[in-house]
Amino acid sequence: MSSAHAGAIDHHHDPSTSTGIPNKKLLMWAFLASDCMFFGSLIATHLVYRLNPIEGNANAVETFNIELTSFSTFILLMSSLMMALSVAAIQKGQIKPMRRCLLTTIFFGLIFLGCQVYEFAHFVHEKDLTLSSSVFGSTFYVLTGTHGTHVAIGVFWLLLMYVRSFQPASGVGSTAMAMRSFAHVAIFLAAVVLSMYLTLELVHDIQVHGFSAGSFGAFLGHHVAVLIGTLGALGALVALGRDPGPVAFSEANAIDVESMGLYWHFVDIVWIVIFTAVYLVEYVPLH
Amino acid sequence: MDSALHHGAAAPASAITLLPRPRAKTGLLGWLTTVDHKKIGILYAISAVFFLLVGGLEALLIRLQLMVPNGTVLNAETYNQMFTMHGTTMVFLAVMPLSAAFFNYLTPLMIGARDVAFPRMNAFSFWTFFAGAVLLNLSWLPMLAPEGYTGIGQAPAVGWFGYANHTSTTYTPGLGTDFWIVGLQLLGVASVVASLNFIVTIINLRAPGMTMMRLPVFVWMTLVTSFLVILAFPAITIALVELMFDRSFGTNFFEVAKGGQPILWQHLFWVFGHPEVYILILPAMGIVSEILPTFSRKPLFGYPIIVFSGACIGFLGFAVWSHHMFTTGMGKVANTAFALATMTIAVPTGVKIFNWIGTLWKGKIQTRVPMVYALGFIWMFMMGGFTGIMHSAAPADAQQQDSYFVVAHFHYVLIGGSIFSLLAGLYYWLPKMSGRIASEGPGKLGFWTVFIGFNVAFFPMHFLGLNGMPRRIYTYDGNLDWNLWNFVSTCGALVLGLGIFGVVCHIVYSIFKGAPAGGDPWHGRTLEWSLPSPPPEHNFDTIPVVRARDVHWHDKHTSEPAPEHPTAQHEREHGVHMPDQSWYPALASFGLFILGSGMVFKPKFVAIFGHWSIVPILGACIVVMASWLWALESPGGYHVHPNGGGAGHGRGGKHH
Amino acid sequence: MGRSSSSRTPTFRRLAALGLAALALIGCTGFQMSGPQSTLLTEGPVARMQTGLFYITLWVTVFIFITVGGVLAYAQLKFRAKPGDDDTPPEQSHGHPLVEMGLIVASTLLLVIIAIPTVKGIAFQEDTPDRENALVVKVTGYQWWFKFEYPELGIVTANEMVIPTDRPVHIELRTIDVIHSFWVPRLAGKKDLIPNRANHMWLQADQPGYYWAQCAEYCGESHANMKFRVVSLDPTDFAAWSQRQLADARTVAAPVAATTGLDAADMPRFQLASAKPAGTEGASYAESPFAHWQMMQAEPTAGSEDAALIARGHQLFQQKSCGACHTVRGHGSMGNIGPDLTHFGARTTLAAAVLDNTSENLHRWLIDPNGVKPGNIMWKQGYVGYNIQLTSADVDALVAYLHSLK
Repeated sequence: MSSAHAGAIDHHHDPSTSTGIPNKKLLMWAFLASDCMFFGSLIATHLVYRLNPIEGNANAVETFNIELTSFSTFILLMSSLMMALSVAAIQKGQIKPMRRCLLTTIFFGLIFLGCQVYEFAHFVHEKDLTLSSSVFGSTFYVLTGTHGTHVAIGVFWLLLMYVRSFQPASGVGSTAMAMRSFAHVAIFLAAVVLSMYLTLELVHDIQVHGFSAGSFGAFLGHHVAVLIGTLGALGALVALGRDPGPVAFSEANAIDVESMGLYWHFVDIVWIVIFTAVYLVEYVPLH
Repeated sequence: MDSALHHGAAAPASAITLLPRPRAKTGLLGWLTTVDHKKIGILYAISAVFFLLVGGLEALLIRLQLMVPNGTVLNAETYNQMFTMHGTTMVFLAVMPLSAAFFNYLTPLMIGARDVAFPRMNAFSFWTFFAGAVLLNLSWLPMLAPEGYTGIGQAPAVGWFGYANHTSTTYTPGLGTDFWIVGLQLLGVASVVASLNFIVTIINLRAPGMTMMRLPVFVWMTLVTSFLVILAFPAITIALVELMFDRSFGTNFFEVAKGGQPILWQHLFWVFGHPEVYILILPAMGIVSEILPTFSRKPLFGYPIIVFSGACIGFLGFAVWSHHMFTTGMGKVANTAFALATMTIAVPTGVKIFNWIGTLWKGKIQTRVPMVYALGFIWMFMMGGFTGIMHSAAPADAQQQDSYFVVAHFHYVLIGGSIFSLLAGLYYWLPKMSGRIASEGPGKLGFWTVFIGFNVAFFPMHFLGLNGMPRRIYTYDGNLDWNLWNFVSTCGALVLGLGIFGVVCHIVYSIFKGAPAGGDPWHGRTLEWSLPSPPPEHNFDTIPVVRARDVHWHDKHTSEPAPEHPTAQHEREHGVHMPDQSWYPALASFGLFILGSGMVFKPKFVAIFGHWSIVPILGACIVVMASWLWALESPGGYHVHPNGGGAGHGRGGKHH
Repeated sequence: MGRSSSSRTPTFRRLAALGLAALALIGCTGFQMSGPQSTLLTEGPVARMQTGLFYITLWVTVFIFITVGGVLAYAQLKFRAKPGDDDTPPEQSHGHPLVEMGLIVASTLLLVIIAIPTVKGIAFQEDTPDRENALVVKVTGYQWWFKFEYPELGIVTANEMVIPTDRPVHIELRTIDVIHSFWVPRLAGKKDLIPNRANHMWLQADQPGYYWAQCAEYCGESHANMKFRVVSLDPTDFAAWSQRQLADARTVAAPVAATTGLDAADMPRFQLASAKPAGTEGASYAESPFAHWQMMQAEPTAGSEDAALIARGHQLFQQKSCGACHTVRGHGSMGNIGPDLTHFGARTTLAAAVLDNTSENLHRWLIDPNGVKPGNIMWKQGYVGYNIQLTSADVDALVAYLHSLK
């Protein structure tokens, strides 16, 4: 895998295929066409029930927290921008900018997921909207949950790509390298879960006790162990994220990042549709 | 095979070595880890034929029960399980995988490629299909039957389209429906992944000169079918997910008391279900479109129109789903729209039949066994098409819907159409796959047995339907004027069963004892016949350059030598790069099997582990680990030297 | 095929002979399709339109079959390679656009022949004609029987739907559990009963008659045993029948005729005007279900029944909590889970038209419901759920009681 000169590869034409479109990209396009039908079926299910309202259904407008969802929608859109920048970077052979953009994409994706977790928990505990409480609950959770799963898979994929970009040019494929990658991913996941947990707890404490030094104190007191663990994980990530010298990852891998980017953009676009069809239309006065 | 190979320096040394890459080409290990499209095709074929026999056995039990009024062969619940499993098995485990067998084996050969675009993903498709098939049929295990249950094991008894709300826990509390849901989901994953692979393969891996309008019609139909699969299966997958959530997590998608709409299931199912009909028949049309020109010794009549009508059928297939629901009270507008759309589909279908006849016209028809089946196909498919037109007349359909008339219709399309054509394909490509040719006499005897048995079994069902016999009834009284035709039909079914069994025996016998075939026993027209039988692992020594539509026919009849592919010289010197085998596709499928079993046996695992999610999570972890290692191991590879140069004979060679 | 063929050829021949014999039989009996559920022998306007359309599609497709099949057969025979042929391939022609376009246009035109009556037919069968005057019947599907309610008349009955011949019947289709389908082949094609969905259809009978019908959507274990009957009556009879249905269940008192000295035959008793005079036997169910049904409406002559046994049956009906599920109006049973039995004795069939309503059959049904109709709710939730035990003598009494409910 000799490193090509920066920008030497034509990213719009793959001479080894009949059409010039790289196989992985074509595969992703075809998969996304299929995924359209998955979401189409779910959105159709949701809309069918919204257009034929059922007695005892939850009141959508009273349930939703449209400000929060608008915020997370905006964040997800911004993540698409960062994704596009990562692709642009790797197509120029720039590994470090690509890593930074990938990390930002992951971060934004996690904010979106955090908002969704918060939203779900809020709906369940405060608004009594569960999977089984009404048809609205069923269609809402399964649709937005399926989308959330797509985002989570996307984040995991971004994370794997990020870790993969550290494999040194020499020694790829050694068991030690595999273990290092595995540890990198595991620590990353641990950091994500722990910090999401802490953030949600903090938000909860602030909601319960108000925005004061006291609530921060209580928060720190209750979660000191988790906090130390999180900081440790983040520290380890910083250590693992140092420049490892020459890496195997190169401009030739741009197609991998680009395919992933297609997926990520698609998931964002689907969210725009869901945000419109599930959230925004509820605020349109029909009668 | 006089090719030599060695695992050359080009094999990137980047494989993560958790599991060493398997090298065995034969034996269980070789088959389990293979990424060769030809071997995977054969695996599909073997499984499909096996399940064809299983589904046939179920059909015979159904027919024996109905042979005389008030039959006592099966009780009510067992009968309901039989028709459910018969339909599900034949659609998903027999006809679809048998088509997939041909897709796999032939597509790369016909377009001049060395394999599919993603060989390991191809293996994953097969093993996931296999996992789904096994899981679904595990439901027959007698020890699963709960106390007092009159059926066998816990096999589903909901019909192959499993209409909600009969599938809710209120009406089918047992595991049967869960088996059905999870089994179909696994089969759906397998089909979608396989189809994505074929789409990329056909669009991207064509040899130089193999333009889209030079593709063999079979490859075109594979492409259309693959698009149908990736666009249609999501609908049923989502419907199944919704149903699974209803049954497992208390959602209300189809829960009547909470306002759920069972009709929604029908729409989602048939948005999948009608394209599925074309998923079953288009490959058959493709096969026939290959066989007729070969044995008429002239090109396919109106190739562009055949291709266009195939694509047209694919598109229209998404616009007619509600003709399965004419009696559900959709209203005048919807019934009219779907009736007219359905009639429209008759035009491209008719066009194909006209063109097949045009192909025969002024040809020199050689009635070899594959040709006999192909001709039988045209006749039988025509019959099925006619009853299809009858059903499109919605008011007439109100009498025929859910009666034996419909049963006759779709068996004419699926046996007379799909199965006849798939058998034609088996006889046609058997020499290519096995290197041996099936004898004519027994082959034709088999055909006539199947043909007569089929017609005696299914033609009378038209009369039964017109005489008011609904489908899916396990018993009937003797005073309804149905006795004669039911008896005749069962006799026919026995002949048909015998015929199919005989044909399978004949094919298996021919694989081992048939006469050696040579590369081109039928004077074929397409690229696969330019190869030895069976083709070498790497298919083509050098990638061919295509100069015409029936490329092999053209090459045989021209004196101009074909230009050489630009990489030919390089490959002669350095060998042909082949991907390594891999554990991970089968391992990922195994993970899905564990995940699926966890979802089916939730109540049992709750009893053992205290929580239902343990086993599904374990399965999911296996899937994730396998996929990750799969991504890390890279395609790997070794080099094959087609002309015996390099590291000597056989499978020596050094791994790097 | 080697060994395998030699062992199966004799079997094949035997089966072929059997097949030929069957074909001969077909020739004799003809293709009549004249069973009681025939869709071809229509007895009402809706079914007539549907079958008429079927024949149009049939003739059009037969025409296509003869022309296309003729050409195909000709091509197959004419262009077969002859043994003496040389090896030169035929002309490698690729198609003929004009021929193809012509065939496309021709087949489209043929489809128009079908399309026009189809569209007309859809409109015809959708809207009940003369809607204000039509009789409304509300049909409710249960696993596995049908309930019939006449909201305008206040009648509730089960499994045998009675309609007048002089006006259309507007049928509202509902279901209590899963999807069923309402199909009376000689009167109208089917329409589904779907949960949370208000479907309707209409039908009408030309003449007074008796029609066999059956659920046409798979609805569980005993789907095959979910049948029903439709009886059409002339307006006078229908009015009489409606009046009778509104009455409470009949109570058979101990014979009074003997003590009062009145002739039993002179006692006023219900019967349909069109029925054959009482006492003239002959209308067995198998011979003429309609005449038999008419006869079944008539009350038995006084004194012909065993009042004591009936009273015992009535008592058992209450003791065994049959009334928890079944209604017998006027007899203190108001259950609404199972069929209304107020006038059960006047029905020609039982257990959703699975059996003729004879004493032996009713006995069989009450002793072993699960044997007659596997999985039925009376068995699962009643007999098993409430541990109801019936001796043969108990059943005799119940049979007498139920058959007294004219």
